Amino acid sequence: MEVMWHASSFLLPQPQPQEPREDAPPPAALTYALIVLNQRLPRFAPLLWNRAQLRVCADGGANRVYDNMPKLFPDQDPQEVRLRYTPDVIKGDLDSIRDDVKEFYLNLGVRIVDESHDQDTTDLHKCVAYVSGSAPVEDKSKLCILVVGALGGRFDHEIGNINVLHRFSNLRIVLLSDDCLIHLLPKTHSHVIHVQLPVEGPHCGLIPIGAPSARTSTTGLQWNLSDTAMSFGGLISTSNVVKEDKITVSSDADLIWTISIKKPIKE
Amino acid sequence: MVSRLVQNTKVMKHAATFLLPSSAVSATNRLAQTYALVVLNQQIPKFTPLLWSHAKLRICADGGANRIFDGVPKLFPDQNQLNIQHRYVPNVIKGDMDSIRPEVHQFYAELGSEIIDNSENQDTNDLHKCISFIREQTSAFDHSNFCTLVTGALGGRFDHEAANLNALYVFSDMRIVLLSDDCQIRLLPKTHQHEIHIQSTIEGPHCGLFPIGGPSVSTTTTGLTWDLCNSEMKFGSMISTSNKVREEKVTVCSDADLLWTISLKTPIHMGLTC
Repeated sequence: MEVMWHASSFLLPQPQPQEPREDAPPPAALTYALIVLNQRLPRFAPLLWNRAQLRVCADGGANRVYDNMPKLFPDQDPQEVRLRYTPDVIKGDLDSIRDDVKEFYLNLGVRIVDESHDQDTTDLHKCVAYVSGSAPVEDKSKLCILVVGALGGRFDHEIGNINVLHRFSNLRIVLLSDDCLIHLLPKTHSHVIHVQLPVEGPHCGLIPIGAPSARTSTTGLQWNLSDTAMSFGGLISTSNVVKEDKITVSSDADLIWTISIKKPIKE
Repeated sequence: MVSRLVQNTKVMKHAATFLLPSSAVSATNRLAQTYALVVLNQQIPKFTPLLWSHAKLRICADGGANRIFDGVPKLFPDQNQLNIQHRYVPNVIKGDMDSIRPEVHQFYAELGSEIIDNSENQDTNDLHKCISFIREQTSAFDHSNFCTLVTGALGGRFDHEAANLNALYVFSDMRIVLLSDDCQIRLLPKTHQHEIHIQSTIEGPHCGLFPIGGPSVSTTTTGLTWDLCNSEMKFGSMISTSNKVREEKVTVCSDADLLWTISLKTPIHMGLTC
């Protein structure tokens, strides 16, 4: 089974060259895109923004960038911050974006795409589809889509956002909040996670959302699984702890991996 | 097929009357339920005093005691803060005791809260421990008339949230409702047909049905804007999010356990003089 590599190096203050390891080739350099949904920005949003080559706001996510980016730089002129953190595209129903915010970004030449005719998919789904089609990278396995504002708030929105990970299971998509990040470990691969200890951990978990797992095995965790069955109603791996900086996971089911984010992350 | 017919005739009724002031709960919408309240360690929703007023048993899970101690007085800013703290004393404080502040521990212990230290048991999370405790206390009661309300189960670390959702599945024979300022969540077990009586003054219209434990081959609903009709639902494909309630009674019948969620309208009028 093919191995899929994961590393939250986008959370490190400076891009770090991957150190070669005896046991494995370094993961290929990734191209990042950022999607901002309509919730309070995490404190490290500027870090992710600077790492991304494509920045998309989903509807009211534009309000959040407009209002909250300046607040993350309280010593700087708000308008200068807004000009520095201007999205490439604003996309969605456009029923949440404020008129003044829309006008500000229109005047800056930001592309604003009205998708209100499409009620079948969520804002995140539309943005992921757009990024997947537009991102400046030929090999989609080298694209990583970072999403802020997908967790918390209305529960049906959160679950809809998690379902986007399942629907686009061939893409790397990471949902981030101030407290943690989550991403899918598709059953089609075995997984190696290089934990970035300065910025993430130690709390972690593996959760079989959508379907049970008959057999999951891990290494590198405090409570490893060994051909262990996991399901809602039975065992799921929560409040686990990373013990090594390399975690391996293989499973017969799609799993959600989650790991806590250390505070504070310096920009 | 006889057993299937028997299954399909069992109806489970749900109504969020615990979000109405006691005076507004009439004979027609009352479900004759006894409530317990579990407060976990996150910011309490603004309507927590209302839930407290309905509950016969109030349990704080470890740092949930800090949240009551600090948070409830803030909801009554014009009242004497110490008086409020004396009025909202949990019956039980249970958990690892690694989050509760010493002065909060002492305050409630002196006012008669039962403190149960579980630090030796690392196998289950705080919510599981509290629900097991409630289950032991209520073994004499009919579980269908007992409902556990939980605050602080959502948000924060995702693995905590997942463990809290799993508690609904592990204790699927008990009524448990997770509440935040934005929404409520319950399990609709596949063993029953469900009738959800919408309290439109305080909840809706946004709602959803999710098969997080495993796919549904066939789910049928009535009363929603986008009703399901023998519809398949699974992660990776269609699940019912951003749906809306259209009628005052929603029915759900499924071959799979489903999570039901509905948004809460704010502010919720508590009808309390404290």
